[in-house]
Amino acid sequence: METQSYMPVPPGVGMEENFLSLDDILLSHERLPCRTESAFPRLGFLEKSSDNRDISEGTKMEMPLWLAKGLYERTRRVLSVELPKVYREGWRTVFSADPTVVDLHKMGPYYYGLGSQLLHFHNPENAEIAQTVLQTFIGRFRRTMDSAQNAYNEDTSALVEPLDSLERALFKVGQNGLNAFQRWEMGRASHLTASSLVVNYRKRKITDLQA
Amino acid sequence: MDPSEVEFLAEKEMVTIVPNFSLDKIYLIGGDLGPFNPGLPVDVPVWLALNLKQRQKCRIVPPEWMDVEKLEEIRDKERKEETFAHIPSPYYMELTKLLLNHASDNIPKADEIRTLVKDIWDTRVAKLRLSADSFITLQEAHAKLDNLTLMEINTTRTFLLDSLNYMYKLRTNMQPRSDAKSQDY
Amino acid sequence: MSDAFSEASDLSADDSQDVMTPAELIAKLEEAWLNEKFSPELLESKSEIVECVMEQLTHMEENLQRVRKGDVKASVHRMEIDRIRFVLSSYLRSRLQKIEKFFPHVLEKEKSRAVGDPSFLSPQEFAFAKEYLANTETYLKAVALKHMPPNLQTVDMLKAVPEPCLDSFVFLRVKERQENILVEPEMDEQREYVIDLEEGSQHLIRYRAIAPLVASGAVQLI
Repeated sequence: METQSYMPVPPGVGMEENFLSLDDILLSHERLPCRTESAFPRLGFLEKSSDNRDISEGTKMEMPLWLAKGLYERTRRVLSVELPKVYREGWRTVFSADPTVVDLHKMGPYYYGLGSQLLHFHNPENAEIAQTVLQTFIGRFRRTMDSAQNAYNEDTSALVEPLDSLERALFKVGQNGLNAFQRWEMGRASHLTASSLVVNYRKRKITDLQA
Repeated sequence: MDPSEVEFLAEKEMVTIVPNFSLDKIYLIGGDLGPFNPGLPVDVPVWLALNLKQRQKCRIVPPEWMDVEKLEEIRDKERKEETFAHIPSPYYMELTKLLLNHASDNIPKADEIRTLVKDIWDTRVAKLRLSADSFITLQEAHAKLDNLTLMEINTTRTFLLDSLNYMYKLRTNMQPRSDAKSQDY
Repeated sequence: MSDAFSEASDLSADDSQDVMTPAELIAKLEEAWLNEKFSPELLESKSEIVECVMEQLTHMEENLQRVRKGDVKASVHRMEIDRIRFVLSSYLRSRLQKIEKFFPHVLEKEKSRAVGDPSFLSPQEFAFAKEYLANTETYLKAVALKHMPPNLQTVDMLKAVPEPCLDSFVFLRVKERQENILVEPEMDEQREYVIDLEEGSQHLIRYRAIAPLVASGAVQLI
């Protein structure tokens, strides 16, 4: 049965993040190349490459997404966020030629999520980034679908490797659908098994008694 | 939905049995069944037919379409047509599995039937995948899916719906919202 | 015991305007079950159907108590009861699952309900949702929030828990013909258009476009 005792919160995918999603928490730790547009007094400890007490205006440094989002303000020049190279024009051209050749895990693994989050920083190329991210997803859909559908009982690691985290999630649900059907077809679906929760609960109870 | 739940729905379909016992009408909540007389065909839901069969109280009459010639015709039509061809039962896959697994002695040429139904299934699922791909690529907003069965939908449901959802979210990125709901904590 | 069970067929129809046979009642339960399973949001609770089905089951089970073991008819009745009970529990369980998934929004909707409008939740589900919210808040407070600086000790659950996505696609079968359903375009280059839903036809479409038809029973989610 697909009923689960634990339902993880899915990632927000677009510009909004889901506060309770583990994927989005990991995504928020992705590092972005930034440039400070004003001095940050006494925050020198954030910049590992120098021993200065302050971060001076014009410093180039990497920042996690969550910090960059917190500091960025459209109207006040506090910092500017540069595009990671996979979202720049050069790579966008690669994606529009053939999105399936790119190893999005290596380049990501949150290619779609980070691409959407970047739009918060009002880059002049926002429209092109959004377009490329969407078209890349569409262009790779067929391959994601086929690998998820054709891989029962096989070693899937080579198929999964180049997938972005979102595509991996899709791969998994695709496999689950296929596996559930094939288990049913072979007559294995009718066996009832105890929920893992119950099994673990029993174990815990015994240790509780021993304690 | 779990395939066993789709099978559960299929078990409500009516099938003809020839009982070897006699029993008055049964007044079930879902409707009346019977009366049952030895040798006289009577219609019952599949769940009851299988139970009676397991207790050796009846013989199951296979549905009309569960026949090699008819299935060959359906298979050929399915291969020829681009859209989903009309199928004689919305639960053809489930009923084939149920009846062949539990009453194969009542079904002539059971193995051939199994293979034919599997061929039909494979053709249809391949079509379903093609349409899913073009639905996504063309970014369609609506598709008519007549004749598609619940079990077929079910094998790809979560995958397709999740993909459409992700795509929707990535598309909303392209409409810059000036007052995007901020999630400040 | 020719007809110990035949009396089950008369459903007490006097307390509702619609006279429904038990078979129709079970069909309604199954519709509600599938709709609830496949709709992205929590639907209106079908408390009346649940109560009537429970009544039928209890009644049938009482009758079965009086029957000797090994009776063929009784075993058929028991099988049917098990099947109905399965649908009933699965229906209630999928509602609980959605309440767990969307609890702040479910409670918010309940709060903003106009006086006299029917509730989306049964009294038990309402109690469950409230308790689930309280437990989640207590838990978050105990494991994390109380260790935070004072200005960061609250989490707005309405923002933290994602809302049901009404733009999700659903599969459906049409039960009553509908005209002029507006299909909004996916891309700027596309135009919106209208479709007719023929009886018996099946479609893949955004839930938002047909949500009222699910509520009215004109379409069945599949």
